[in-house]
Amino acid sequence: MSDATASVPRKDNTTRWLLLPGIIWMALFLVTPILMIVYVSFWTQTTFNISSDPTLASWKQFFSSDTYIGSLWTTIRIWLIVLATTFIVGYPTALFVGLLVKSKTLSTVLLVICVIPFWTSFLIRVLAWRPMLGKEGAINIILLKVGIIQQPIEVLLFTELSVIIGMTQIYCVFMVGPIAFMLARIDRNIIEAARDLGAGFGRIFWKIIFPLSLPGVVVGAIFVSVMVLGEFATSGALSGRKVNLLGNIIVTQVGSLKWAMASVVGVILTVVMGIVIAGFLRIVDLKREL
Amino acid sequence: METAVFRLDGVTKRYGDLLALDQVTLDVGVNEYVSFLGPSGSGKTTLLRVIAGFEAPDTGRVFFEGRDITHLPAHERGIGFVFQNFALFPHLTVRQNVGFGLAFGKNPLPAAEVDRRSAEMIAMVGLAGMEDRGVDQISGGQRQRVALARTLAMQPKLVLLDEPLGALDANLRGRMRNELRAIRERLGVTFLHVTGSENEALAMGDRVVVLDRGRIIQSGTSDEIYDTPASPDVAHYLNRFNLFDGTLADGQFRGQFGTVAVPGARRAARDVYAVGYDRMRVLPLSSSADGPKLKATFVASEYLGSSIMNFFEVDGGGVVEMEHHLSLGAPETYAPKQDYLLTWNPEHAIVFGREAR
Repeated sequence: MSDATASVPRKDNTTRWLLLPGIIWMALFLVTPILMIVYVSFWTQTTFNISSDPTLASWKQFFSSDTYIGSLWTTIRIWLIVLATTFIVGYPTALFVGLLVKSKTLSTVLLVICVIPFWTSFLIRVLAWRPMLGKEGAINIILLKVGIIQQPIEVLLFTELSVIIGMTQIYCVFMVGPIAFMLARIDRNIIEAARDLGAGFGRIFWKIIFPLSLPGVVVGAIFVSVMVLGEFATSGALSGRKVNLLGNIIVTQVGSLKWAMASVVGVILTVVMGIVIAGFLRIVDLKREL
Repeated sequence: METAVFRLDGVTKRYGDLLALDQVTLDVGVNEYVSFLGPSGSGKTTLLRVIAGFEAPDTGRVFFEGRDITHLPAHERGIGFVFQNFALFPHLTVRQNVGFGLAFGKNPLPAAEVDRRSAEMIAMVGLAGMEDRGVDQISGGQRQRVALARTLAMQPKLVLLDEPLGALDANLRGRMRNELRAIRERLGVTFLHVTGSENEALAMGDRVVVLDRGRIIQSGTSDEIYDTPASPDVAHYLNRFNLFDGTLADGQFRGQFGTVAVPGARRAARDVYAVGYDRMRVLPLSSSADGPKLKATFVASEYLGSSIMNFFEVDGGGVVEMEHHLSLGAPETYAPKQDYLLTWNPEHAIVFGREAR
């Protein structure tokens, strides 16, 4: 007992020292910048200048402008659609890679294949969709040659659809990874036990497999959400400027040195992300699962 | 056996080049407790998985209650399986685990009936009051009971247990051993129990089936197996015999302990002389005695509670064990690195040989 009491203060000290670098790092590069953005969002912006006199002008401008509010809704709509498509494409993939493939080697190889697109730069991955989806792109050429269509499909590129296709492809792997990880951790005996108790495939999936993979779904959804909500490059490259996300607005505002408005949008984006992440974390207790 | 509830007929299973089960034929009666004993890799778990329906045999047939179930899927067999690591559903409570098969199985029952029967099972395995605990909030022994209750809730006629006590500590193992027997006797189900522990197999089974390299090498009651092992391999797995190599010729066994007359020997592929650990006697080196004599150096002893195991090293390098039951009197102490003479009454030896009658 005396041993234990003696070691408590020492352990406390060690904990403090171990935490220090992280705390300094987060304070310097996360907390301070966020406070700075909040502060700047209340600055006074004139056409060519910005001063630190506090004002609500930028905030009022954001909430009274259809363009800005519209882009908030577009961001949320695209986020929800991409979340759904990455889940619909990603979950079956993860189920195959993480659970149905029996050999560990093969499932590792398949996961690596999922990551191969990341060997090229983000922009190239996005831009590669242009020759695929364009009016004279690969998909239209193939469909025309096969004779399924007579006229090239024009809605494929420079529409919301192309943005969704591009984002789904880019972010799908972030959904697949965590789900496949959780599925791979499921003890196969559990599934055999359920089968032995007479449960069919559907019941085993909904009562056993899906609940056990839920933490992976939540982690994947958080990854995809954070990245899609902050997106600007995919929409910039594939929408032909028709789809304006909050991220695109930040880019244009910063480009024209409108720091105050960029900060307002930044704060709103951060709040939206905070709400989304908090919401997801309510679904499962990740502390217990990981 | 005319009341055979369960029958294996020439079951063979290979994994690539490995012959996991080789022509296994076995009858199991109603309300019997059968232990499968064998070293790891002997095919005992494969056998259980074939019976359960998780694996299909390459050749041979499996019969259950007079029906050929060789190609019936696991859940249609009515055979319960208790997994080695229990395989509980980690996200469900004790009650939900026990009720899973009742609620989501082939013939789902109404919720009230599921609750009633799971409560009954939970009470039977002695977990009343823990229904709403998560399975990660209970101890290993309790998890074992949940696994058992979950299987028994389906009212199987045959329950397969894959090393059910392997994951428990020694103390708990003894208690669960008694409890398994009690539960089985109460319900009148047939239990097939796979184990790598000779003590467990001998203690629990009405019948012990010894497996080696995919074959049944002996099958009989615990005392039959213990008193008359059918082959040197069985004697080896029982872990109760000192085995000596040598040659059997003209009723004489010539080994490192001298030449000893053999009253009767069992037929086997090689000549082996087996003496139970508890039949060994230790004499001072100077003593002269008739019969087998083996010079050996005392190495160490191990206290087992009811007996003491003494380990001796013989000149050839082998280790000979001698068990002293404490009920027979206080143990003698031996000096480490001291030479002694080991002997035994040849009538107690079990001899295997190629030229046995």
